[in-house]
Amino acid sequence: MAPSGIAPIDSVTGGIPKGALTQVCSPRWNSSGKTALLLSLVAQTTNQGEFCALVDAGDCFDPLSAEAAGISLSHLLWVRCSQRGSVPALEQAFKAADILMQNGGFGLVAVDLGNQEERLVRKIPLTTWFRFSRVIEKMPTALVFLAPDAYAHSCSALTLHLASIRPRWDRIASVSHGRLLDGMDFEAEITRARLKKPVASAKPKFTARAEWLG
Amino acid sequence: MFACIYVPDFAVQAAMRNEPGNLDKQPVAILEGPESLRKVVAVNAAARLRGIEIGMSKLQAEVCPGIVLRKRSIPQEETAQAALLDCGCRFSPRVESTSPGIVLVDLSGTKRLLGTFEEIGCNLTASAKNCGLFVRIGIASNPDTALHAARGCGGISVVPSGKEAAFLSPLPIETLQPRAEILDLLDSWGIRSFGSLAALPRISLVERLGQEGLLLQCLAQGEIQRELVLTDAPLSFEETLELEEPLDLLEPLAFILNRLLEQITARLQARALGTDRIRVALELEVSPDRQLEDAGQGTQRKLFHRELKLPLPTQDYKLLLKLLQLDLAAHPPDAPVKKVTVTAEPAELRFTQSGLFMALAPEPGELEIALARLRAVVGENDSAGRPRVGSPVVLDSHSPDGFQVLPFKSIDQNSTSKLLPPVPLALRVFRPPLPARVVTEQQVPVEVVFRGMKARVATAAGPWRGNGDWWNAKTEWGREQWELMLDGEVISGLYRFFREIRSSEWFVEGMYD
Repeated sequence: MAPSGIAPIDSVTGGIPKGALTQVCSPRWNSSGKTALLLSLVAQTTNQGEFCALVDAGDCFDPLSAEAAGISLSHLLWVRCSQRGSVPALEQAFKAADILMQNGGFGLVAVDLGNQEERLVRKIPLTTWFRFSRVIEKMPTALVFLAPDAYAHSCSALTLHLASIRPRWDRIASVSHGRLLDGMDFEAEITRARLKKPVASAKPKFTARAEWLG
Repeated sequence: MFACIYVPDFAVQAAMRNEPGNLDKQPVAILEGPESLRKVVAVNAAARLRGIEIGMSKLQAEVCPGIVLRKRSIPQEETAQAALLDCGCRFSPRVESTSPGIVLVDLSGTKRLLGTFEEIGCNLTASAKNCGLFVRIGIASNPDTALHAARGCGGISVVPSGKEAAFLSPLPIETLQPRAEILDLLDSWGIRSFGSLAALPRISLVERLGQEGLLLQCLAQGEIQRELVLTDAPLSFEETLELEEPLDLLEPLAFILNRLLEQITARLQARALGTDRIRVALELEVSPDRQLEDAGQGTQRKLFHRELKLPLPTQDYKLLLKLLQLDLAAHPPDAPVKKVTVTAEPAELRFTQSGLFMALAPEPGELEIALARLRAVVGENDSAGRPRVGSPVVLDSHSPDGFQVLPFKSIDQNSTSKLLPPVPLALRVFRPPLPARVVTEQQVPVEVVFRGMKARVATAAGPWRGNGDWWNAKTEWGREQWELMLDGEVISGLYRFFREIRSSEWFVEGMYD
C-alpha cells in the first residue's frame, strides 16, 4: 500500500494498493479534488525516493501546483499527450502507459483521463483494463487512472468517487467580490475496495488548501 | 618480449570487416583507380587460389566465378588500423603502429598479469576477431623478429629467447620484403631463406650489397634490438561502410548499423571505455531528376546527421542499436543511403553499488529506450517548443504557465525525505486557454459560456491584475484574473478565468480540482 497523503482516505482504505489498478472518478467539468489527490499521492511517492510517471492525456498538469504539493519534480516523468495527426490523445495515453508498464521501475504510474470525453473513455474495451490489471499484479507499482467514471469495473482493486462540497473564502473587503480563495472541501466515496473492506457508510472528507495561490 | 599483430591481406580484411555475413571463404579482390581503368590492388587467399593476381583489370577479375569485388577505401583501412591498435592497447599501453596491418606490442612485465605468451597470443587473436580481423601473432625478444615470425608463420608463433636465428632460418627471404633488385640478386645467388642469408660472410655481403645487405642479414639472424615508436594518436571510435548499392529501407540499414556498433563497442571494451554520445552520418544519394539519372548524368550526395545522447556511458551495442532504430524511424532519411558512418564519443564507464533498501528506479538503459518509444508515440515537442516527455521544471517567472521540460534521468538523483505541506488545491490547466463569453454586471461576472456550455456564477473573487514582460513587445502580457464558482447543468466547480487587458477577450485558464 502507498499512502495517499490524505489521512481520512488512508484510514479508510489503507492507502493506494501497489500491484493493482485504482480508479479515481469524477465528472469531467466538476471540481472534485481528483487532481489534489493525485498530486498528494505523487508527493508521497517521490518523497520516499521513488520515481513516478504521469501520462497526461489532456495535457492539463500544472507544474506550479505540483511544486506547491511538495513533489520532487526531478522524480516525475511527465508524458504529455495531445491529438497528433490521426492518433487521438486517448490512444496515445494507453500506448504510453503500456510502454511504462513494460519498462517497470516506477513506484507509481498515473494515467490522467480526467479531461477526456466520457463517450470515448467508455469505448475502451474491458479486455484492455483486464490486461493492465494482470500486468501490474506482479509489479511493485501502483497504477492509478483518473477517469470521468468507473470503466474498469472489477479489474480495479480500489475505486474512489470524488465530489466537491464547497469552496472556502476569506473575505478581505466590504465589496462582494473582494475574496481570497482559502481552499475547498471534498468528499470521497469508496465504491470498490478489494484489499480492505471499508465501512459502507464511510465517506471521508478532506480539505485542499490554497495557500500557495497567495 | 614483444608481440606482433599481423593482418594478412589487410586491404581485403579492412574492406570486408564491416560487411554483414560470412565472406571469409569467398574470393575477394580490391580494386583501385579511375572507373574505366580499375585494377586489382589486393586479393585474399581464396582469390589467389583461383588465379586472381594483383595488377589484373576489373574485367579479368570478373571472370572468376563468385568473386566479390570492392573499391579500396582508405578511411576503412584507417579504421581497421585503429581497431588493431585498440586490440594491442588491451594488453599493454606501449604499442607501435608499424605499418598498415601491423601493430607491435611491448609485453615486458605482463607475464604474471596476462599469463603465458601462448595464452597472450590466443587472447590477442580472440580480441582481433571481435574487431572483425583475422590475425597472425608473433612473439619474440625483439620487435623485428616478432614481426617476421608473424608474417612468415601462421597462427601464433612464440620464438624462444636466444634461438631467434634458428627459428627464422626456414622462412622464405620474401618475408624480409627487400627491394626488388636485391631480391633478384639474392635469388640469382641461390639465397632463398633466412638461414642461407644469415650464413653468408658479413664483410663480403657488405662489399656487394652495402649497409642494406648488412641490415637484412642482421634481421635474418634476429639480432636487431630497437625501441618501439609509441603511438599517441587521439582516441577516435569511428566506423564507416560505403555501400555498393544504395539502401532505401530502414530494416537493411539496421543490419549495417548493428555491425558497425558491434565493432565500435568491441573497440571501446578493449580500452575499458563506454560511450554516451553516438553520431550517425548517412550519405544520401539524391537524384535531382530521374530523367537526368537515366541519361547517365551524375547524382548528388547530401549528408544526413543524427545524434544520440545517453545519460550514462554504455558498451551495450544492442541498446545503442535499438535507440538508433527508434530515432531513425522517427526521423527517416529522405533519400537512399549510400554511405554510413558511426562515431562514438568515448567516456569513462561508471559503476554504482546497488543497495538492498534502495528505492525502486528504472534501469537507465531500458529507460532510454522507453523514452524514445514514448517520444515516438506522443511526439517530440509541443507548439511552444517544449518537450512532450521529461521532467517538469517551474521557471522563475510570473508569466502564466511558466514551465520547462527537461530530460528525465533516473540516475544522480539524491532525494531526502522532507515534511510535506498540507494537501494543496490543484489547478487543472487548459492548454491552450479556452475562449469564453462572460456576462458582467457592474464589472463583476455573473454568467459564463464556453465550449457551448452555460453556467451561472455563484461566487466571484477578483479581479487580480497582473502584467509582465512589458519591455518585450512580443512576449508582453497583462490580464485580470478571476476565481469563479460556477453552477450550471454540466459545469459546476471553481474555475480560473482571465480577461486579456489588450484585447478584452475572456479565457478559461483552468479548473481548481
